[in-house]
Amino acid sequence: MSFLTPLFLVALGALAVPVLIHLTQRERKSVVQFPSLMFLRKIPYESVQKRRIRDWVLLMLRLAALGMIVAAFARPFLRGSELAAAPGGARDIVVLLDRSYSMGYGDTWQRAQQAAVQALSSTTPADRISLVLFADGAEVALRSTPDPSRASAAINAASPGPGSTKYGPALKLAGSLLAESLLPRREVILVSDFQRGGWQPDDTLRLPGGATLTNVVVEVATGPNLALTPVALQRIRAAGQPERVGVTAGVLNRGTTAAASVPLRLEMDGRVVQTLTASVEPGASATVTFAPLTITAANTRASVRLGNDKPEGLSPPGSVDALARDNVFHFVITPSAPVPVLVVGQDGRGDASLYLSRALAIGDAPHFDTSMQSPDALAGDALARARLIILNDVVVSEAAAAKLVTFVEGGGGLLLALGPRASWPAARAAWLPAGLATTVDRTRGAAAKLSGMDYGHAVFEPFRGPRSGDFSSARFYSYRALTASKDATVLARFDTGEPALVERVAGRGRAIVFASTLDLSWNDLALKPVFLPFIHQLGRHLSGFKEQPAWLTVGQVLDVTAAEIAAGATTAGTASSQTARTVLAPSGQRRELTPPAAPPGAAPTSTALELGEQGFYEIRVAGRDAGPGIVAAANVNLAESNLERMDPKELVVAISGDGSSGPGGGQDVLPDEAQELAQRFWWYLLFAGILLLIAETVLAQRLSRAAR
Amino acid sequence: MAVTSPIPGARFVDPAVLARVGNLELVAKSVVDGLINGTHRSPFFGASVDFAEHRGYVSGDDIRRVDWRVYARTDKYYIKEFEADSNANFSVLLDVSKSMSFGEKISKLDYGKTLAGCLTYMANQQRDRVGLITFDHDIVNHVPPSAKHLEVVLHTLDRATATRPGQIGPPLRKLAEHFGRRGIIVVISDFYAEPDEIFEGLGPLRFRGNDVVMFHVLDPREIDFGFVEPSSFEDLESGDQIPIIPDKLAEQYRKLITEHTETLAKRAAEQQMDYMLLNTEMPIDFALFRFLSMRERLASRR
Repeated sequence: MSFLTPLFLVALGALAVPVLIHLTQRERKSVVQFPSLMFLRKIPYESVQKRRIRDWVLLMLRLAALGMIVAAFARPFLRGSELAAAPGGARDIVVLLDRSYSMGYGDTWQRAQQAAVQALSSTTPADRISLVLFADGAEVALRSTPDPSRASAAINAASPGPGSTKYGPALKLAGSLLAESLLPRREVILVSDFQRGGWQPDDTLRLPGGATLTNVVVEVATGPNLALTPVALQRIRAAGQPERVGVTAGVLNRGTTAAASVPLRLEMDGRVVQTLTASVEPGASATVTFAPLTITAANTRASVRLGNDKPEGLSPPGSVDALARDNVFHFVITPSAPVPVLVVGQDGRGDASLYLSRALAIGDAPHFDTSMQSPDALAGDALARARLIILNDVVVSEAAAAKLVTFVEGGGGLLLALGPRASWPAARAAWLPAGLATTVDRTRGAAAKLSGMDYGHAVFEPFRGPRSGDFSSARFYSYRALTASKDATVLARFDTGEPALVERVAGRGRAIVFASTLDLSWNDLALKPVFLPFIHQLGRHLSGFKEQPAWLTVGQVLDVTAAEIAAGATTAGTASSQTARTVLAPSGQRRELTPPAAPPGAAPTSTALELGEQGFYEIRVAGRDAGPGIVAAANVNLAESNLERMDPKELVVAISGDGSSGPGGGQDVLPDEAQELAQRFWWYLLFAGILLLIAETVLAQRLSRAAR
Repeated sequence: MAVTSPIPGARFVDPAVLARVGNLELVAKSVVDGLINGTHRSPFFGASVDFAEHRGYVSGDDIRRVDWRVYARTDKYYIKEFEADSNANFSVLLDVSKSMSFGEKISKLDYGKTLAGCLTYMANQQRDRVGLITFDHDIVNHVPPSAKHLEVVLHTLDRATATRPGQIGPPLRKLAEHFGRRGIIVVISDFYAEPDEIFEGLGPLRFRGNDVVMFHVLDPREIDFGFVEPSSFEDLESGDQIPIIPDKLAEQYRKLITEHTETLAKRAAEQQMDYMLLNTEMPIDFALFRFLSMRERLASRR
């Protein structure tokens, strides 16, 4: 019998307490005061030291109860259990099985499964097995089971995914599992093809002391290995014709043999529209450009495929190579939609917007569809079609201001260029980014210049670098004095410190006030080189334009809210951002995507979707019939197609230091904690002690009544 | 409680009853007068009516003291002088140490106070100068002997309390210097000290010619040790405790206390002191009577 916490046995000294109580209790009850102990002291001491214990049963019960409780706290256990008799000691084994898509090369996966099962063949009933499947992430498929057949079944049920190899997260997870282990031997079995690209040296990554790493290398068969590189899209616009898109695909030959006349098929919405061939030398790449296509529908699903592989999965016989996942590249093509811009100028002063309209007409990414209107147009429904409204020195009526406020707060953009005539209703002056004041005349003396630009803001961010645009060369002879409101941001100031460009976020939209004109009447900014990019930046920023990528990589996160806004859901508003969506994954699995709840009064939160499969994701707002929602394409990481192998010893040395076995490696028995945990004698002792105390209480009461 | 008297006609009063009477003078008067009336025996001792000598009249002598019969015979003025023409000093030394507070019905201190009061009253009736000294490990109160100090003595007795531990030797040695004039010294104590220490204290008093009377006051339980239950016995003075099983050591205790009292009696007799063991259950007047009887017997022998 041993004890896990023998220090508690010191408390056995408490056994003297009941004895002392027995012996002292009666004396405390009767202390006799006596004039002098002079004669009593002369009597030999032994004759008065004797005391009697009357209730032996009670005393024994108390002693036994206390003894058992103390023993329970000392955590007793018996050494040398059957469990501990396993030769070499029990092992806690974590099998790390690489399920990246490179493991799908030929029969690599089947051999990996066999190797993993084989590694578990030497386990004993005392061993515990955990299975971790990993690619760029790691997940525990099976936790601490003594049954090898269960582990084998879990291994055989697994399949390679679209992820790329990353050893770090998997080894970290294995380390945390083994850190909790109580078994004497701890072992990590890593079954992988050991791609070099999957290992990034990490000094902080270490297995727990005593844990060993056993590498099971699954050799990848040599053979052709072609991969598609990301496509390049070229948009071609011609006057009066719909936009066309040219697709250029690249083929990379990572194999050792040349690939001749490899077919490349371009598919649109599942139909093959063009097929080209390419020949690629080993270690080289080739590109093919498909004939431009006219894209009419948004969210058109397009794919480029090598050979006849379809669908994704393990390579069927007769394909261009044994690794199918990198033989296809998905992307989404959407006709570029122009940003409708409504420029409102004074009647009869068409030249006032000349420079502005010309600048907007040159834009390509995005293309601004400019419409020139008079102030009367603000009363009509022209606002509903626009995403950006520019008020170029106009008088705004109360009714027009109300409409503009609604427009901006619904997600639109508003730019007020101020001239001598510009005005805004006083009743709504507080809504504007800045209050409009009198005109400042700088025609005499030195003209004003722009300075103090906020280069961290999106409008001026492209001009941050040196020689990226000189605003100081522009001369401002007159401007309107502005008083920025509290919640507004001053993006640029004149050299006098007065605000020149002030922005305020209102609802889902933005409004910017420019203190001077956009023609040559008050300044010569329109003649400067920065005018064009400045106007384009203002247009992009105010219209909320954000170009969406045509494809993403598996493992990346799609900002669903941003994608919806870019797809034209400008007025969907807060309600849309808080609405649940339905996601249709490439595998056909359908699930609900609920946005995180935003606190009251806070801005709506974005909804994110992690892309875990290769193919097309379709996201629709739940319960809405109109429109297909948005479509996102997910492709595998191209780096995973590089099958170059690393030296497994490099990994062992990196994560286990000297690679030596831990202190538990040579033990033949379970550690004390494990044995005690398995036997749990303390629980029985504690229970028995409590029972004895109850019996003692009952007996003491009866004896007390009898004594009365 | 009435106690059967060895003296016909005498009635004795329970000391516990006396203790309940707050007025010590009343108690003393009742006890002493009752005793005298009951016994019809002279309470006087140390009488001063015995003729000593004649001396010639000198100017200033009280003419009332002239012996006119001698003048008739000799035609000369002679003054008649008696053996004890002046009163004796009567002092009570009362032990007020903490151990004197012990007692069930009546404490030893109360018993001693009553006894001291009675003796003082009796002495004062004889025109003796009465005084009182209370002591524990030191002198607590000192009332010098005087014919007018009866009330002071009684008042001091009334206020005496037993609060401090006692030690008999040092205060007695200190007192010996105060008793320059011969007198009667009554010591009332429980005498919890070794006999040597006691008589080292009392010896100087005796050697100066005083008549020393020792009243050894003990509670009945101190004499017969009538305890039954095993208990912790706490020393009243030191606070020390020792566990005691009475039936195991009562016999040894009684033997020790008997040896102690016998030793005191023997040593007192050797030094011509009067010693009397008083049980607090014993009536005061009974104790007085025995004391007076003993004094008379001893006086006749001296």
